Amino acid sequence: MAGVAGLGSLLTSCGSGEVGPLSFGARTVDESPTKQLKALVAAYEAKTGNKVTYNATESNAFQNNLSQYLQGTPDDAFQWMAGYRMQFFAQQDLLVDLSSVWKKIGDQYAESYKIASTGLDGKQYFIPQSWYPWGLHFRKSMLADLGIDPDGIYNWDDFLKMLDGMKKKGLVGFAAADKGGWEAMGTFDVINARVNGYQYHVDLMAGREKWTDARTAKVFEYWEQLIPYMNENVLDLEWDGAMQLLLQRKAGAMLMGSWFGGNFKEQSDADYEDLWIIPFPEINPEHKRDSIDAPIDGFCAAKNGSNNDGGKDFLAFAGDMEGVQAMLDTGVPMTSANKGQDTSTYDAFQTQQLAVMGEAKYIMQFLDRDTRPDFAGPVVGPALQSWFKNPKDVNKILESLQSQWDALPPL
Amino acid sequence: MSSSATRPVRSRRRRAFSRGDRLTLGLFVGVPTLLHLLLVWIPAILTIVLSFTYWTGIRFGDIKWAGVANYTNIFTKTPAFYDALRNNVIWLVWFALLATPAGVLLAYQIDRHIRGHRFYQSAYYFPVVLSLAVTGIIWNFMLRSDGFINGILGRDIDNAISFFGNYDINIYVIMVIASWRHVGYIMLLYLAGLKAIDPTLREASAIDGATEWETFRKVILPVMRPVNVIIVVITIIESLRAFDIIYVIYGTSAGLPILGVLVFQNIAGEGASMKGAAYAVLLFVLSIGPIIAYLRQQFREDVS
Repeated sequence: MAGVAGLGSLLTSCGSGEVGPLSFGARTVDESPTKQLKALVAAYEAKTGNKVTYNATESNAFQNNLSQYLQGTPDDAFQWMAGYRMQFFAQQDLLVDLSSVWKKIGDQYAESYKIASTGLDGKQYFIPQSWYPWGLHFRKSMLADLGIDPDGIYNWDDFLKMLDGMKKKGLVGFAAADKGGWEAMGTFDVINARVNGYQYHVDLMAGREKWTDARTAKVFEYWEQLIPYMNENVLDLEWDGAMQLLLQRKAGAMLMGSWFGGNFKEQSDADYEDLWIIPFPEINPEHKRDSIDAPIDGFCAAKNGSNNDGGKDFLAFAGDMEGVQAMLDTGVPMTSANKGQDTSTYDAFQTQQLAVMGEAKYIMQFLDRDTRPDFAGPVVGPALQSWFKNPKDVNKILESLQSQWDALPPL
Repeated sequence: MSSSATRPVRSRRRRAFSRGDRLTLGLFVGVPTLLHLLLVWIPAILTIVLSFTYWTGIRFGDIKWAGVANYTNIFTKTPAFYDALRNNVIWLVWFALLATPAGVLLAYQIDRHIRGHRFYQSAYYFPVVLSLAVTGIIWNFMLRSDGFINGILGRDIDNAISFFGNYDINIYVIMVIASWRHVGYIMLLYLAGLKAIDPTLREASAIDGATEWETFRKVILPVMRPVNVIIVVITIIESLRAFDIIYVIYGTSAGLPILGVLVFQNIAGEGASMKGAAYAVLLFVLSIGPIIAYLRQQFREDVS
């Protein structure tokens, strides 16, 4: 098995403890992921006798400070995201080249993960930890109460029928949140991909298609149809507020990344077992359900860290099946990027996540990972919020989005 | 008095500083000046220069001259700027017309020793010991969808009152929160000034038959001029530099755009651009302008 092979090579190549003590920066303070990461650190310490200092920062704060953090005295290894957001910092020469680590453990990962971990110069700067699909989440028991079969929700009409059923029962049909400014980007991404297809998403994000295009406006036409089924306080809730609506059986469905399975499990095993996911419904038959937002989370090593070799050594362990297994052993649900995680050990919800992934032909990373950072956060975020405030303003908002794109500094 | 006795000695010394004196003076004046230049003026000037460039804030080699592009972008392309400006103006007007006068009124009442003045004094002063960030955290707990207020009203998150998410009212919700602290702050400053007023002034005006209001307007207020200047300046600065409360409640999302947050949003994180520096310069100009104007007018009156 790949895991065993990787383990062997790790034993021969890593001088346990020789690399010296190092520090690790987590970009989460939540219970479940912290448990996972601490288990990883503990397993590494036990194996190598090498001391790891664990520093945790709340994820928004971590993100806002990342530039300064990486230019200052960062931790040797830290948690980050794949794709554009990693490439940007690699280009600024702030990340450690992890190509040698990939030579060791690369055979444990599918090619697509290697591509997502590769910088513009062709070297790897990222070790994937886990992936999660963005899909339509709901509680099986609530659909059963309505007499709806989840597999029967295939297209937009099926979806609206289900929302209608929820609304008639006095429930929120589609739980939505956008106080954080990023939550609604997932809904935009998927409706855009359903209406206009994957290529349009890529081209729009890169500025080759226009926000003022009638095709972009069409996305909002569909989105607007969902508003009557949404909770009214969309702009007052962050993602976990929408999750609470689902957890408390006050809402029928929610579009979100599956990472929050752990939160359901914290509540109770029964709640976790009730949780289900299906792909967002088809809108345009031409594009079926062929695209999905499925971001990859993982780790990087910081060049300005005091112990680059230590960071690499730790990440070699984190990417190897042995480290992955330490995280899985905590019982916190995780769909690992490592091939070595036996999918037969997946629970029902994870197996379903895999099935949802399997149906997609094209993987998107998420709006704020697929376009320029100085556009996603400061421009698209507020624009979507103002759309929720007044959906009739859509044309004005799209014109402003385009003119703000045009005014961006040259890269 | 002792001061007149020591005066000749001082003036003789001024003509011939000893070596030690010069060293001490040099250190006491030089070090703070150097620090001030290093920590205030140089960064301020650099910010102004950088606001005319494109830069992601990482490698010096990447700095590109942009002319006034960042400013035209803000003025002509960014609706968030005008939303933020509007919110800052509401903030300033609210503070100037409601919060600050309320603080002055409270100070005056407490100084008159109304019944329970000690209680009021501590109660209103209490929020001031909390930083604005903590104030934001406390009120966030109170008012968010799953917070205390919605809890006692028996509302769940699906039908909670949207204090922060309703864009028609959220600026006023924030104004109540900010005033909660500002009123106590102004009260304290004003109270300190009132305590220093010679009580014979009040007695004299009472003997002359002045009403309470006349005494306040024609006697107390003019005597309090130095404190008034401080209070006006503080009110302007606090309204324009507002940031902490909003950041704690909304993060960098534009839930309630104000200039302070726009600076941060455009300069922090991965999306750093010197548009943030341009916002900072605008904020600086906006705050310094009215303050200079006010101070000049005050000093001119003092001279004449």
